[in-house]
Amino acid sequence: MQLANSDPLRRQERAGAKVNQKANLESTGIAVELRDVVKRFGEVTAVDHVSIRIKDGEFFSLLGPSGCGKTTTLRMIAGFEMATSGQILIEGQPQGYLPPHRRPVNTVFQNYALFPHMNVYDNVAFGLQMQGIPKKEIVHRVMEALELVHLKGMQRRRPRQLSGGQQQRVALARALVNRPKVLLLDEPLGALDLKLRKAMQLELKTLQDEVGITFVYVTHDQEEALTMSDRIAVMSKGRLLQIGAPQEIYESPQSRFVADFIGETNLIPGEISSSDSGAGIVLFGSAYTTAGWVEEGLRIGEQGLLSIRPEKVHIYPADFSQTPPHMTRVDALVQQVIYVGTDTRYVLELPNGVTLAGRQQNTIPGGGQFSIGEGVILCWDPDHARILRE
Amino acid sequence: MERTLRRFPALQAWLLLLPATAWLVIFFVAPLVIVLIYAFLERGTYGGVIWIFTVENFQRVFDPLYLDTFLRSVYIAIITTFFCLLIGFPLAFYIATRPQRKRNALLLALMIPFWTNFLIRTYAWLTLLRTNTGLINVSLMSLGLINKPLPLFGNDFAIILGLVYGWLPDMVLPLYAALERLDWSLIEAAGDLYASAPKVFLRIIWPLALPGVVAGSMLVFIPSLGAFVTPAILGAGKSLMIGNVISNQFLAAHDWPFGAALSTLMMALMLFGTLVYFRSTSQKGAIL
Amino acid sequence: MTTSAGQSKSVGETQPLDAVSAPAMLPESSASRRAHWLARIASFSLSGYGFLGYLFLYLPILILVFFSFNASRSTAQWAGFSTEWYVEMVNDDQIILSLWNSLFLAVVSTAIATVLGTLAAMAMERYFFTGKLMMDALLYLPIIIPDIAMAIMLLIFFNISGIGFEPWKVHFFGVELAVPYSVIIGHVAFNISFVAVVVRARLSQMDRTLEEAAHDLYADNWQTFRRVTLPMLMPGIIGGALLAFTLSLDDFVITFFTSGAGFNTLPVRVFAMIKKGVTPKINAVSTVMLAASLLLVIISLFMRRGGEETSIDIGI
Repeated sequence: MQLANSDPLRRQERAGAKVNQKANLESTGIAVELRDVVKRFGEVTAVDHVSIRIKDGEFFSLLGPSGCGKTTTLRMIAGFEMATSGQILIEGQPQGYLPPHRRPVNTVFQNYALFPHMNVYDNVAFGLQMQGIPKKEIVHRVMEALELVHLKGMQRRRPRQLSGGQQQRVALARALVNRPKVLLLDEPLGALDLKLRKAMQLELKTLQDEVGITFVYVTHDQEEALTMSDRIAVMSKGRLLQIGAPQEIYESPQSRFVADFIGETNLIPGEISSSDSGAGIVLFGSAYTTAGWVEEGLRIGEQGLLSIRPEKVHIYPADFSQTPPHMTRVDALVQQVIYVGTDTRYVLELPNGVTLAGRQQNTIPGGGQFSIGEGVILCWDPDHARILRE
Repeated sequence: MERTLRRFPALQAWLLLLPATAWLVIFFVAPLVIVLIYAFLERGTYGGVIWIFTVENFQRVFDPLYLDTFLRSVYIAIITTFFCLLIGFPLAFYIATRPQRKRNALLLALMIPFWTNFLIRTYAWLTLLRTNTGLINVSLMSLGLINKPLPLFGNDFAIILGLVYGWLPDMVLPLYAALERLDWSLIEAAGDLYASAPKVFLRIIWPLALPGVVAGSMLVFIPSLGAFVTPAILGAGKSLMIGNVISNQFLAAHDWPFGAALSTLMMALMLFGTLVYFRSTSQKGAIL
Repeated sequence: MTTSAGQSKSVGETQPLDAVSAPAMLPESSASRRAHWLARIASFSLSGYGFLGYLFLYLPILILVFFSFNASRSTAQWAGFSTEWYVEMVNDDQIILSLWNSLFLAVVSTAIATVLGTLAAMAMERYFFTGKLMMDALLYLPIIIPDIAMAIMLLIFFNISGIGFEPWKVHFFGVELAVPYSVIIGHVAFNISFVAVVVRARLSQMDRTLEEAAHDLYADNWQTFRRVTLPMLMPGIIGGALLAFTLSLDDFVITFFTSGAGFNTLPVRVFAMIKKGVTPKINAVSTVMLAASLLLVIISLFMRRGGEETSIDIGI
């Protein structure tokens, strides 16, 4: 594998000796930076020109479906894979060809990777032993780490004697005890059942707040990412699609994929036409709406998709006349009514045949106020809608 | 140095392989090549070789005497393999259908004869089969069931029996491995689809066990073809297989080139069989 | 019906095949009853066959052991209990010497083969490189090749190379031995492959992420190997070593042809004894060897506690 600028990397490598725990943090406060990183496996491009800057102390998630390259990206930060081209910097230091045991990061693996032939104490102490830390300090730090993950008293147990949740916590402790600059987590909650997963999500978030270490978290569960992260990077097919805070990703998706992958959304096809305020107007059927430009490069006359989330669609009886003037207003027919306990979900048919999903909370027991075949008025705030490329 | 090793992982591999490869190349490949070369040389007067190229050794193989031994050896090997399969398949099936704990005990019980010296196991049959002093004949005669001893010794029957006995575990183990992986719900599904027991066997069990059958057959056929101890002990010098003839060339006749030729032919036959094996497993999934 | 379950238990099997036995609560039509009985007969026959199969395997061995305690020279007619053959065996210097030879040979060849085979296994399981397929073939050849072929090619090789049949004169537990280097070399040659196969099987089942985790926790290659890979691999290595040890002890043909003149291992000695004349003394020696095999199987069983592989791994 050839790196575009290999010489500086080799120089850097010669300079970078054993892990330096007291490395100076660049005043920019960037814990991890990826500069135009590409990873190819033979013919397949797993990571396609990805550039990210992860801030110090951030809970940063890499989110995407299987095969999108998020795990490969994580592994490149850890040093298990080497980038085909591009640079990876940890605290401003380019990592070059440095192997994992020379990088100031630790990983929590998807399958925990606890050493089965060692007990909990030896597992957690392993990293410290490898760094040559004196025994007394090891004991102190291991106990501290175990307490942090609420596993005090388990140090003599073997991994096979622990439950999934407990093993996960040992894996956490084993990584955190080394006080890495960055903690990498590869879908650590995947193997846990739903309730435990939700509980662990909160615990992890709290832990991160307490310890203050930068977390780089890989997951395919968008709800998980939304719950825990300070910022999310959405990836698909090796490409980075959008980075932003959870609200930003959710409310202002910049591409069809992001809009579709995160939460639920309605996608209505239409043609771009202009408006006087500069915002694009999407024509669908015979109704007009306005929405802001979102995807770059969309031009008048092109086909696009209007994205509006179900919960943003207000449903009113057909005779309702007080919809605010700036809101888009459309007639629709109720096609299906689905009761799901907390909400009632509707499938609504527009005059031109397109269907929309809508949702109303069941504040009154007994379910929705509309029935099949009923005519209704839908309205939404154009600011909540996005126009995206097909 | 470490960085060079890291840049080129293949180097690390070759370094690890070096001692084993060196040993095998010097003490296995080289001797093998020498045998191949010797097969084409003339014999020396008092043993050893003369460096003259000849195919005479291979021509001699077609001498009725040697050809007969060769063909008989192949015949014996095939019969042995067949009987090992016949006896071994139900046995493997039996073990595979037991509950886990009993299965472990049964496998252990199978390993014991497997790890016992082949010579001893052959000797055991010697004491049983011998014409006048073997246990079987002695007991049958003393019980008055027969008047003359049965010809159970010094013939092909004894050899085949000894070989089947000796190599049976080698057939049962791969068969068991294949059957163990069998998904029994497939059989239930077949029953649900109106298949009778013989049909279930032919259409489902046998095809899925086939990799095991092939592996086991190879593990039995090859050593049977090259048998030396069994015919030497149970054949009593009257029934010889190709292994004994080869041995004779080196210990008695001092005709090394001929022995080398015989050995080469024997190995060629086995190589042929092995290729057939690898061909069929690449289509069906491997056991080995 | 609980009776059918009760009946099948009394026949001696623990658990009939679900697919073969009929469900309990079927209405008693004649077709289903016939199928039910056919299934029971089939499963009974299978168990019976299993029993016979194992009987076939063990009976000759048991008879062998039995007659080692015979009070007469016969190996076919029982004349009373006696341990005279064991006494004779123990007093036979040649047998004792050959026993020591066997042990020494096994220990040395196992030691060398285990190291070489383990290294080779690691290379084959952990790396991709050109020529890997050829190495694979090379490693499998000694397993496939029949004894006699390997024996004669080594015979020729040692004759024409400078190595010859020089003995290694050594003191082993107080006994003076003269073991030809040629035999040791031959034993190592075939044992490397067997060790490699066993260790590879174990290695392929090992969780790769464990080694990654070790690296992640600041262990370099050597530390990872020493603290993580090796301990986890140990049961496999020992399994391979046990297999090599057994194969070396049991080997006859290769030893016979590569030992030059006058060197005896136990199997070689037994063969010579058989040629001279059959007496229960041979049974006695055989019984001792049998006991040794049994011991090795039991030891290997304890080693298995560390892993979940089936006995197939060392069986083939």
